[in-house]
Amino acid sequence: MKSKLITGLLLLALVQIYVPLSMIIKREIVLKHGEQFKFRTAPVDPFDAFRGRYVALRIEEDYVPAIKEAKLNNGQTVYALINVDNQGLAKFTTISTSRPHGKSYIQTKVRYASGDKLYLDLPIDRYYMEEKAAPAAERIYQQHAQRSKQDAYVIVRIKDGFAVIESLYVGEQRIEDAVKQGGIK
Amino acid sequence: MNKMAIKWLYQELPELVLKGILTEETANKLRQYYGEVKSVSKTTAMLIILGTIGALLIGLGIILLLAHNWEQFSRFTRAILSFIPLVIGQGLAVWVLWKRPGSAAFKEGSATFLSLMVGASIALVCQTYNIPGDAGTFTLSWMLLIAPIIYLMQASLPAAIYLIGITVWAGTYWNDPLKAVIFWPLAAVIIPHFIWSLRKELYVLRSIILSLVLIICASIGSSFSLGKTWGGAWIVIFPSLYSIFYFLGWLDSDKITVNWQRPMRLIGAIGLFVLAFIFTFKDVWKFGTSYSYGIIRNISDFSAIPDHIISLSIVAVSMLLFYDFVKRRNITVCLLGAVPLIAIIGYFLKGSNGILPTVVFNAYLLFLSVSRITSGIRNNRLGIVNSGMLMLAILIIARFFDSDISFVIKGLVFIVVGVGFLVTNMALARRLGGAK
Repeated sequence: MKSKLITGLLLLALVQIYVPLSMIIKREIVLKHGEQFKFRTAPVDPFDAFRGRYVALRIEEDYVPAIKEAKLNNGQTVYALINVDNQGLAKFTTISTSRPHGKSYIQTKVRYASGDKLYLDLPIDRYYMEEKAAPAAERIYQQHAQRSKQDAYVIVRIKDGFAVIESLYVGEQRIEDAVKQGGIK
Repeated sequence: MNKMAIKWLYQELPELVLKGILTEETANKLRQYYGEVKSVSKTTAMLIILGTIGALLIGLGIILLLAHNWEQFSRFTRAILSFIPLVIGQGLAVWVLWKRPGSAAFKEGSATFLSLMVGASIALVCQTYNIPGDAGTFTLSWMLLIAPIIYLMQASLPAAIYLIGITVWAGTYWNDPLKAVIFWPLAAVIIPHFIWSLRKELYVLRSIILSLVLIICASIGSSFSLGKTWGGAWIVIFPSLYSIFYFLGWLDSDKITVNWQRPMRLIGAIGLFVLAFIFTFKDVWKFGTSYSYGIIRNISDFSAIPDHIISLSIVAVSMLLFYDFVKRRNITVCLLGAVPLIAIIGYFLKGSNGILPTVVFNAYLLFLSVSRITSGIRNNRLGIVNSGMLMLAILIIARFFDSDISFVIKGLVFIVVGVGFLVTNMALARRLGGAK
């Protein structure tokens, strides 16, 4: 009985290690081999008791033109095709319900349709920062935004539709560096 | 028989023998009949409690330290850090099973610590890779990874953490009935452990804590997951749920216990009374019956099926238990346990103005409180008398300030009921006098 319990516990320990390990490996592969994209965003600062402070990211253009023919449910998984404009910013052009080939895309979910826009529930919504840095980051962004230079953007690596956030920039500066210097120059 | 009561009896025995009330022989027979009191010594109990609280605090402290998000650590360092607390927790648990398999204190403490470390590990990975603020995936993966600990280590606090976790998870899907109902199969995972803990040490702190968490989580979980597709479902579901707690709390009822040792019975009873009291308001029947999240969200027929199956099972279990207690002729229990039955009948016969169920519930609560008072007096149980008086007082105050009823009718009903009391009182006094 005792050895059975211990074997069970050891097996469970392996599963408990495997889950975070596989999470890490999957993301490391995307960060290494994924294609890089730049999305314009607006950061604000909330709090999570377990995972720490983060800035919530709201991708500015988180929608595609609505598709009249397709009947899409809220929460349905779709593939949003990405196009890079002449300023180097990534934009969503359209969505597809089947996995696209040979194009850049992100796997995401339909949030809701409103008018001629179809809003997406993008898997790019949190950027974790050090406890004190997260509220400072929001303040810096707000100050920056007031000077009508709303150029905060998030760098994302995407591979096979799976996105991993690489870094967050406010005005050509990594947010961590901006916080350290106490503002944008 | 309650351990405390036997202990008390054993304390009294020598004096009873000394004063010649019992013979030494009878005292020994009593001791033989009740057997030795196997009780956990005070030190062991302290060890379990302090050890578990210690493990809980250290575990939470580690989670908080990691949540600070140390910027200077590289991704590699963080990856390693994700596993260190987890592996320490696992090592500790294995060591306990290996060296101290008999110690409840060690098992409970190390299992609690490991449960928290699994969460710390996943949380740190989420933080490092900016993993999307989940739709409950973080919580669910954490809970699924700790569920086996409950059984491997026979530990109840991980079971409580698991229950709280799956309730939080169900909360993130409150508007998605197909996902939220998975709460029920997930919750069922701990049932064997719960029964084991009750069997092992009925009315002991750990099963009491687990019962409390179970009641709270099941109540919140039902509001997240059930009755989304038909208006006023709560009127049927919640009384049924609380009556199940209430009836289950009465099982093994020959034993002397105090209320706090039976959280299921106590909270079940309070829940049933509160619901019955809410049902004495007309507006509940007039407007509350159309209230449901699902109706606003237009949930289709198919996705409503699991919701219906679980809701109806809860009602069915409640009715079966009610029938069981009726068969046993346990009138006191049946009286309070009848709330779901009356609520269901009221739900179907409410009509457009809801007057009928309102009147029925007012009469029911009046009858219930008076019957408690009289049965309490008859059996010399002051607690029951007081609870009956409290119920009656709440009902009277609510009706006195009820603006729905005209003053004349209210006044007349109050006088009639008052006269009824006096008449009963007189009859009772005469009968008692006759008995003398």
